[in-house]
Amino acid sequence: MSDKKQVSRRQFLNYTLTGVGGFMAAGMLAPMVRFAIDPVLKPSAAGEFAAVVEESEITNEPQRFNWKVDQKDGWYESEVEKNAWVYKDENGEIVALSPICTHLGCTVDWNSQEQFPDEFYCPCHGGRYTKDGVNVPNTPPTAPLPVYEHKVEEGMLYLGQAISRGSGI
Amino acid sequence: MKWNQHDISQYVEAKEYIDTLIVPLIPFGAKKDEQMKTQAFQKELLTMFVNEIEKEYKGRIVLLPEYYYLSGKVNEETARLNHWVEEFTELPFEHVFLFTFDVNWRKASKDVDGEVIWLPGLQSGNLQSSEAQSFIKEQVSQIAEMIRSYW
Repeated sequence: MSDKKQVSRRQFLNYTLTGVGGFMAAGMLAPMVRFAIDPVLKPSAAGEFAAVVEESEITNEPQRFNWKVDQKDGWYESEVEKNAWVYKDENGEIVALSPICTHLGCTVDWNSQEQFPDEFYCPCHGGRYTKDGVNVPNTPPTAPLPVYEHKVEEGMLYLGQAISRGSGI
Repeated sequence: MKWNQHDISQYVEAKEYIDTLIVPLIPFGAKKDEQMKTQAFQKELLTMFVNEIEKEYKGRIVLLPEYYYLSGKVNEETARLNHWVEEFTELPFEHVFLFTFDVNWRKASKDVDGEVIWLPGLQSGNLQSSEAQSFIKEQVSQIAEMIRSYW
């Protein structure tokens, strides 16, 4: 027998068995790990934008636009109609406001009351908001109207999620 | 506010702001095939319809569960319906609107404690069609205006 370290039959079998066993374990574990972290890897639906209207149609006067999005509520998928009041402010910036009153959730109207011109008005309890969506003090709402995330691509306005603006005034 | 946990818990917190009740009246029966089809369709239509109204005025309206009854028995239903309504007007609710496509309620409406709103409905069709959608939109905006006139 030489001095060189030789792999004994027992060691050889040990190595090969560990190797094969390791492969099998890895083969079983990999899908399991993938399942476990699957929710993390899913692209989030939150950042999705939907095409709403051509930019050229947007004026300085708020207009109401509707669009539809697929909403997943647990396993229940449905098509939900969304809408927004969209206008360009004095700097030409597009503003898209959610029409849902922050008081109890009615739909607000633009400029519908003669005594409150150029304001958003909630017909349910007389809540009022200025043109930028900020609630008028001493009316029922306690927060400004949420603002939609927006982007313009190839002349088309895309709206995303409505971002709440906290408790405001 | 719909009749679900989330909305009703919101209602309980904000009772003083909510004074209007909506009840859909929905007839059904099993005597004639054609009638069944129409009634099933009109049930869907009315549900869609009141949901739209509820969406518009969520903060001031409670939409009760549908009131179902056998068609043709409207006169026997008024007492039970009034019980329903009474239960809620005590809370109080100031305005009660009962929506229906059933023309029989027209005659019975004087015995009912609430405003019976009879809507001339569609007989059949596709609810997803643009025809039905624009029909609903049109009517909803008019009904919304009518409700506002009561406030």
